[in-house]
Amino acid sequence: MKKLAIALAAGLGLAATGAQAQGAYPQRPITMIVPFAAGGPTDVVARIVGDHMSRTLGQQIVIENVAGAGGTTGITRAAQAQPDGYTIMMGHMGTHGAAPALYPNLKYDPTKDFAPIGLAAGTPIVIVAKKDFPANDLKGFLDYMKANGEKVNMAHAGVGSVSHMTGIFFNSVIKAKPTMVAYRGTGPALNDLMANTVDYMTDQIVNVAPQILGGNIKAFAIATPERSPALPNVPTTKEAGLDGFEVSAWNAAFAPKGTSPEIVAKLNDALVKALDDEGTRKRLLDLGGVIPVKAERTPESLQKLVESEVARWTPVLKAAGATAE
Amino acid sequence: MSDLVSNLSLGFGVALSLQNLGLAFLGCLVGTLIGVLPGVGPIATIAMLLPITFGLDPVGALIMLAGIYYGAQYGGSTTAILVNIPGEATSVVTTLDGHQMARQGRAGVALGIAAIGSFFAGTVATLVIAALGAPLTRLALIFGPAEYFSLMVMGLVFAVVLARGSILKAVAMILVGVLLSTVGTDLETGEERMTFGLPFLSDGIDFAVLAMGIFGIAEILRNLDQTETRDVVRQAIGRLLPNRDDFKQSYASVLRGTVIGSILGILPGNGAVLGPFASYTVEKKLAKDPSRFGRGAIEGVAGPESANNAGAQTSFIPLLTLGIPPNAVMALMVGAMTIHGIVPGPQVMTRNPNLFWGMIASMWVGNLMLLIINLPLIGMWVRLLKVPYRLMFPAILMFCCIGIYSINSLPTDVVFIGLFGLVGYLLITLGFEPAPMLLGFVLGKLMEENLRRALILSRGSLSTFIERPVSAGLLAVAIVLLVLALLPSVRKGRDEVFTE
Amino acid sequence: MSHSHERPKEQERRGFVRGAQDFAGGIFLLLLAALGLWLMRGLPQGRLSAMGPAMLPDWLSIGVGLCGVALLVNGLLKHGAALERWSLRGPVFIILAILAFAATIRPLSLGGFSLPGLGMIVAGPLAILIGGCATPEARLRELVILSLSLTPFCMLLFGDMLNLPIPVFPQALTGLFPAGWSQKDILRACSAIMAAAALIMFLTGRRRHTTKVDVAIETEQG
Repeated sequence: MKKLAIALAAGLGLAATGAQAQGAYPQRPITMIVPFAAGGPTDVVARIVGDHMSRTLGQQIVIENVAGAGGTTGITRAAQAQPDGYTIMMGHMGTHGAAPALYPNLKYDPTKDFAPIGLAAGTPIVIVAKKDFPANDLKGFLDYMKANGEKVNMAHAGVGSVSHMTGIFFNSVIKAKPTMVAYRGTGPALNDLMANTVDYMTDQIVNVAPQILGGNIKAFAIATPERSPALPNVPTTKEAGLDGFEVSAWNAAFAPKGTSPEIVAKLNDALVKALDDEGTRKRLLDLGGVIPVKAERTPESLQKLVESEVARWTPVLKAAGATAE
Repeated sequence: MSDLVSNLSLGFGVALSLQNLGLAFLGCLVGTLIGVLPGVGPIATIAMLLPITFGLDPVGALIMLAGIYYGAQYGGSTTAILVNIPGEATSVVTTLDGHQMARQGRAGVALGIAAIGSFFAGTVATLVIAALGAPLTRLALIFGPAEYFSLMVMGLVFAVVLARGSILKAVAMILVGVLLSTVGTDLETGEERMTFGLPFLSDGIDFAVLAMGIFGIAEILRNLDQTETRDVVRQAIGRLLPNRDDFKQSYASVLRGTVIGSILGILPGNGAVLGPFASYTVEKKLAKDPSRFGRGAIEGVAGPESANNAGAQTSFIPLLTLGIPPNAVMALMVGAMTIHGIVPGPQVMTRNPNLFWGMIASMWVGNLMLLIINLPLIGMWVRLLKVPYRLMFPAILMFCCIGIYSINSLPTDVVFIGLFGLVGYLLITLGFEPAPMLLGFVLGKLMEENLRRALILSRGSLSTFIERPVSAGLLAVAIVLLVLALLPSVRKGRDEVFTE
Repeated sequence: MSHSHERPKEQERRGFVRGAQDFAGGIFLLLLAALGLWLMRGLPQGRLSAMGPAMLPDWLSIGVGLCGVALLVNGLLKHGAALERWSLRGPVFIILAILAFAATIRPLSLGGFSLPGLGMIVAGPLAILIGGCATPEARLRELVILSLSLTPFCMLLFGDMLNLPIPVFPQALTGLFPAGWSQKDILRACSAIMAAAALIMFLTGRRRHTTKVDVAIETEQG
């Protein structure tokens, strides 16, 4: 492969020596593949964190958006890249947790095909309902769901989206079977929630917080152990009396399998430094993000997280019959 | 009223600072230059250029982004007129008469009227946003799935009206377009439809890929066949700017286009996409001689371009007041805002009045910049047409490849523009027009999703479309339009219609 | 598919087919409808209250098919436009050019065959040179100058100024430059070399092809 490249270089009229430049990593810009379109929540986290990591590493981290198939297109490509530390990726709950259940023909194994770098940020999930919903807290909501069953309409942002996956999980926890209404993205779903067309949904805090604060929709609970500073008045699921529903859409950096431990350590160090930086923290917190504590930032704990997420999502999604193929 | 004045003066205070003026200029310039690449529309341009705004403060960055948006929009129209490749759904209409004008040596006039019409529409739309933005958001909540479905049906009827030749062929093309839009993973069930098991088709066909293939590559293939006609464009250059007569002919279209575009742009379900089509339909129906349309009628450029720009502007309303992005471009804007630490929503107006009003003022500034940048550039664009075709088309080809690759970084996208190019070439040879197909493709997805949503919510009762007054009204308009479109062909007999 | 059903129609035109274009168009639509129905086989149509994935596509395919039948009948009954002649040269070279670009822009592995990512520096000129041959008027010298001037322009615009993550040159190329050089330095150096080569070719050829080559440079500014 390399020979061919050299031959072609020579063909261009340049004398090829073929020697790769030697020296400490990184020698050139690093590509971080974001498996979603520019501007989405994962892209935002990647750009905020990547910005600070570039400064630590002394080489730019270039974000490459390779969107498609719920993020699996980009992750597949990144997993097959040279494990030289120059291609890394920002995965999330879907690509490294739910994907094996959603995509039976997935070309990678989240637990085996990656060298985890570290957890970047989590976005808590909030349970929201239309303004006119005939209940004012989670308990009243659950009672209403029991009484009305399929009459209730739940909105989600399309099969495979975070709001869809967490919605299925939520329904399985509260044993509800509402009528599911799909939207293309969170925006249109929220619009119909605000117009009282659909009844409730679950989604990432960054998407719903403005509407909750603006009084256009109501929030029943936030699916984290602690309340979010972005929504201090919204109780946690546990406080509201619901056990077993704690979810956050996490984002984490990975390298392809086989990347040398030294390089991973260097990248992890840059990531940790970014998460300790005041400016970066503020930007993430402003989005309602949760910044992982020290113990959660190591590659090892990320590996454990991926394993536990795959184990958690697979039965939930399989039981709901949700596949994207 | 005094509120409006004080708000606007606050806004202009922000927008007219030297730095922000510079950023608006830079944004418009870069947006124009990238947007003018064949097939690269506003979405692609903004996605590409988003990172260059990261180093700026939030207000500056958003002003620059808005500039990029307008620039890309106008750049896309330029390409549509000059080389017949639309960069986005809304400039499909511009290709119809705009490119014909270019072929008749009136490229400068077409570009000029597009720029001036857009500027006027932008000015009006800015005022609409400033004065009525907040109350108008209620309109957004009237439109549910049933209403959107009926709106899209109306849009598909526009596509019939917009066709030049055989109505039967136009209907067929619309159906094919809608069929193409169903390719990919089904939103409701997650089933893959017509993907041949290929992973890169699971998200459906990208508009840019389809448009670049069906218009761009197919156009090259067709021109290669017709050695005698293809260099017509470069023989006659003509005037660079519209004159008095041109204005006289098109001012009413600009006004109507502005109104239509402004109203449709407010709808958060991507109503803006219908603006140019609706405007074109109206102009064609009002014209004394509808047969001029499709052969270089200046109203067919002035109206849709104004509607396009007005809609592009007013589609900021749902974003700024509700925090809900009505289309892909606005979704990118949300991303850009969040990256800069501003979460768009109802609070932006009160919490960040500087940003809110600054951005609104900068919309107008952006439109002005566009005029300033583009009127002198028209001469340059038109001169490009002088390049002999044997050199022009390889350059277009390479720009198409680079452009499409840079959107998603997928080589399969590049292959697909070739494939759709062949399909488009075949369609042209068989006498089908690509424009109705592209419209069917754009509206098809929205139509199917909303149809299914409406029926799920009504638990399968079709009467939901008639019981809801807005939906019933839209369907009635669609039926009337369809009858009006079919009548002449029924009366004149089929021969004339089918042979064009 | 496209070529196979074209030929017979040309010959049959004198026979019972009066509007060859409509007739062929009808067949095309029928094939498309059949393809749609075939691809959607096995997927459920569902009910109105819960439409399945296949309901709309199936009905659309039937609609397309009906249009096809109407067009076909029309082609049989009414005199209409004949089919235009078409050449193979254009499509073949254009498609080859596009494939060449797609194959070389980033690393490719197809079965046992693999190519390293060569980037824009190779893909761009390939697209221009191969695509340019689509017309019989192609002149190699012009195309070379065009590719040597447009490619560095794109490299600088996309790779340097806009910083897009589009591959610009093969990694092996870095070995040719001094170790201290950054990617951007190499990009600029390559662009300069290519532009210079274009200029030299342009100047040496000037005496013979003055008017023609002039325009090649003009495109660069766009």
